[in-house]
Amino acid sequence: MKITTIKSTVIAGLILTINISSFARLAIQNKGSDTLVNVAQAWAEEYSKKNKNVAVAVSGGGSGTGIAAMINGTVDIANASRKMKAKEIKLAKSKGQNPIEHVVGFDALAVYVHKSNPKKNISIPTLARIFGRKGTVKKWSQLGITIPGCPSDKIVAVSRQNNSGTYAYFKKIILGKKGKYRMGTLDMHGSKDVVDLVEKTPCAIGYSGLAYATEHVGVGCISKSEDGNCVMPSVKTAINKTYPIARPLFMYTNGEPKGEIKVYLDWIKSNTGQCIILKKGYAPIKNGVCS
Amino acid sequence: MEGFGISKTNIQSKRVEKLFRIIFLGMTLILILPVLVILGTLIVKGGSVLSLDFFLENPTNGMTAGGIFPALLGTIWLVSVALLISVPIGVAAAIYLNEYAGDNILTRIINLAIINLAGVPSIVHALFGVGAFVMFFKFGTSILAASFTLAIMTMPVVIVATKESLQAVPIAFREACWNMGATRWQTIKKVVLPNSLSGILTGIILEVSRTAGETAPIMFTGAVFFSPFLPEGVFDQTMAMSLHLFVVATQVPGVPENLPYGVALTLIGMVLIMNSVSIAFRFYLRGKKKW
Repeated sequence: MKITTIKSTVIAGLILTINISSFARLAIQNKGSDTLVNVAQAWAEEYSKKNKNVAVAVSGGGSGTGIAAMINGTVDIANASRKMKAKEIKLAKSKGQNPIEHVVGFDALAVYVHKSNPKKNISIPTLARIFGRKGTVKKWSQLGITIPGCPSDKIVAVSRQNNSGTYAYFKKIILGKKGKYRMGTLDMHGSKDVVDLVEKTPCAIGYSGLAYATEHVGVGCISKSEDGNCVMPSVKTAINKTYPIARPLFMYTNGEPKGEIKVYLDWIKSNTGQCIILKKGYAPIKNGVCS
Repeated sequence: MEGFGISKTNIQSKRVEKLFRIIFLGMTLILILPVLVILGTLIVKGGSVLSLDFFLENPTNGMTAGGIFPALLGTIWLVSVALLISVPIGVAAAIYLNEYAGDNILTRIINLAIINLAGVPSIVHALFGVGAFVMFFKFGTSILAASFTLAIMTMPVVIVATKESLQAVPIAFREACWNMGATRWQTIKKVVLPNSLSGILTGIILEVSRTAGETAPIMFTGAVFFSPFLPEGVFDQTMAMSLHLFVVATQVPGVPENLPYGVALTLIGMVLIMNSVSIAFRFYLRGKKKW
């Protein structure tokens, strides 16, 4: 028993010393979107160098996770790659929360295919026929394509888990408000997972934020209609709105931000903060932020 | 009658004996193969990142560079607080069950409950932790909530290990003590516990190594993707090794390939070192045993 006692004393001592030596530091809870999580991390990391009295703790889990936390009042800033639904805002208000929306950047939602896939221009109606419940395109040959590494010819549609904001946005824009994903999509648990899988799977097609693109994966050129001109996703085409599936990225606060949360959000929207999001591969909310 | 000479059946049964020996040896070797392969892969692929700086520095550059210090310290926090909770309760429960409780229905129900608690999947513990500690007790997402969840999850290990080592103390020891007029508590304090210490400590260290590696129970209750500062008290959130491994392996783009392997190697190294300490300690105490 003696040794356990010594051990506990040491641990208790450790906890006490740390507690005594510390000063009051404000913690900001920041949780949500996997699309935003790496930018949120970069912001928190950079901000900690500037302001040592505020600690921003970042968690991912998906937009749904962040919004649920906002509704339950367990988070200071919720990250989301989709708007909160009217139903969710109502629920939040019934629990005494008042979510206020802040646009902190824009993201081009890229469509990824395997590097060996020759098809690089894809129209939104075609995407709907690949991903939709009523879609008829199940084989690459139906699009007139043969992929060297894909003898089965079957289209492997890679999607996201259903609490993802990216999942919800893609569904709304591509499949329509009442649209449904087809059965048998592979639902991945993170923005990076989608790209990783498509990179290794010749038969695959998937969607994820442009910031997750690597040189080992093919990025689709997207057109609004079958015979329209296609636009490559980029920061530039996301800013000038020519890329058809670019979306705003949101941060939600409970009520108008006050105190340190306001200072932090203002810093995020400032040139310094926006330069960080640009460097991470997203579009900033204004021009000329890194000059 | 052939007398005592070597008969045909004798030779045959010797051959069969040899064959089975080889089969069982083969099976045993297969058992250690995964351990060797895992360790080998991690050392080859991740050994190059290990350095004192890696252990003692913060992650930098969007978690693609730098070290793992906050995660390492976070895991130590989580494990220490979990131990402070589970060891007193677990050891006391085991002492009651082994030394005081009679063989009645209540005891059997308690034992059954402990066995079932050990079989609950960790993700269920995680959700229980969110409901009970984060929401109901209002600990918030914090080290305290995560450690309580871990403590409940690993309590059966402590109870079972303690009970087994108490059982290993011969009943004659207790009887001799009682016959001298000692009470049950005196007997436990002076005879039973000193003689079962090695087993109890082994159970505790096993618990430590399991606690250090768990991800699900801490994911929603207290561990974060990123936090720029170190935790300063039990109500802070913290980074943790297991979640950090998940994050750098699947969530962050542009992580150098050897970094996740280095994190995994450190995590396994922590567990192996603790297990070795436990074995060495048990050896030492066993050498001191007088029976």
